[in-house]
Amino acid sequence: CIIVYKIYNGTYQGDRVIDVGSEWRTFSNEKALKDPSRVGDAQNPLLNGGDLTTMISRGTGAASFDEFGNSKYQNRRTMSSSDRAMLNAFKEISTMADRINLPRNIVDRTNNLFKQVYEQKSLKGRANDAIASACLYIACRQEGVPRTFKEICAVSRISKKEIGRCFKLILKALETSVDLITTGDFMSRFCSNLGLPKQVQMAATFIARKAVELDLVPGRSPISVAAAAIYMASQASAEKKTQKEIGDIAGVADVTIRQSYRLIYPRAAELFPPDFKFDTPVDKLPQL
Amino acid sequence: RTVALEDWSLTPLNEEAKLGARRLARCLQKLGFKVRFSAFRVVNVLAVCSMPFAVHLVDFTKNNRPIASYEPELHPAATYRIKNLKATVQVFSTGSLTVTGPNVQSVASAVEYVYPLLYECQKPRCK
Repeated sequence: CIIVYKIYNGTYQGDRVIDVGSEWRTFSNEKALKDPSRVGDAQNPLLNGGDLTTMISRGTGAASFDEFGNSKYQNRRTMSSSDRAMLNAFKEISTMADRINLPRNIVDRTNNLFKQVYEQKSLKGRANDAIASACLYIACRQEGVPRTFKEICAVSRISKKEIGRCFKLILKALETSVDLITTGDFMSRFCSNLGLPKQVQMAATFIARKAVELDLVPGRSPISVAAAAIYMASQASAEKKTQKEIGDIAGVADVTIRQSYRLIYPRAAELFPPDFKFDTPVDKLPQL
Repeated sequence: RTVALEDWSLTPLNEEAKLGARRLARCLQKLGFKVRFSAFRVVNVLAVCSMPFAVHLVDFTKNNRPIASYEPELHPAATYRIKNLKATVQVFSTGSLTVTGPNVQSVASAVEYVYPLLYECQKPRCK
């Protein structure tokens, strides 16, 4: 980063701006991957407390190694001590998000949430990983692409119960609320994981929405209803999926799909979209 | 110091609660513990009641945003916490309620408080 001085109108009016971009004097036309004039890593002003650290790279000469062959000058003894736990958590968040291929904006939102919670210190006793997982869940919800608790569980070492608890605590601490989940939020993900064509996906979305509108499934979790709708749609099309497969992807038990399916089966004919091409007609749908 | 969970189907009266607690203390005494009955205090009251109508939880939660909380993945009921009464009402989609509070009066007033809100979101009307 460089320091810029500005002088206005002949009168010296010192103005100091610290530009955290790259060095101005690199006159290279190609965008080189490595910026040789930049000193230090890109600052992350939103998240860090502004750390200016000195890092010791590995030595090359003979003097840098002590008698056992270990490098004499250890690296990173004191690195941003106040925020070490936070940086650790960011790393964990990044790992978790990477496992389910979450885009950068969700990760950034998660980091922001975590920072707010961490600074508030109201959840200080809870495991950082639990808070991180809950922040990830909230961020996905806020971005309009909710993930089920079970999906977050799959990439975290924390139990669903604990994530749920932290989730409620964080909402209380940050005084925010989240929108309720709907069946449509999960359709595209579940259907593509199962390899179902677009027609089936649209049919399943329609079925689930209609089922909730007609209130055929009171008190059932939207995930279970979505799974049952996918089952019905796939059984009516050429690509038939078993309950086990769907349950595996959605994280819903076999029997739960069966229960919800039994509730929507009686009115199956009205639930399908009008322009749906049936491979198996409605009366031939499996009855469980 | 023992915390006793008592289950009653009768109209709750403080004397009956105390008798029940004494009975429990007697059981413990028979088990062999040294028991002394002192400072009897009702800490928490849990009540179950049922509305004559089913409730549409999604609408109920949307109308009462920060106070009501509904997570279908975690619990099938919507939780409504009344701060000034310190009571919590859990509403199920069938219309049954579970009310918890520090004493019987707060539980009763919580039900009265929440009834008009639930009435607005009943099943045949809302959906």
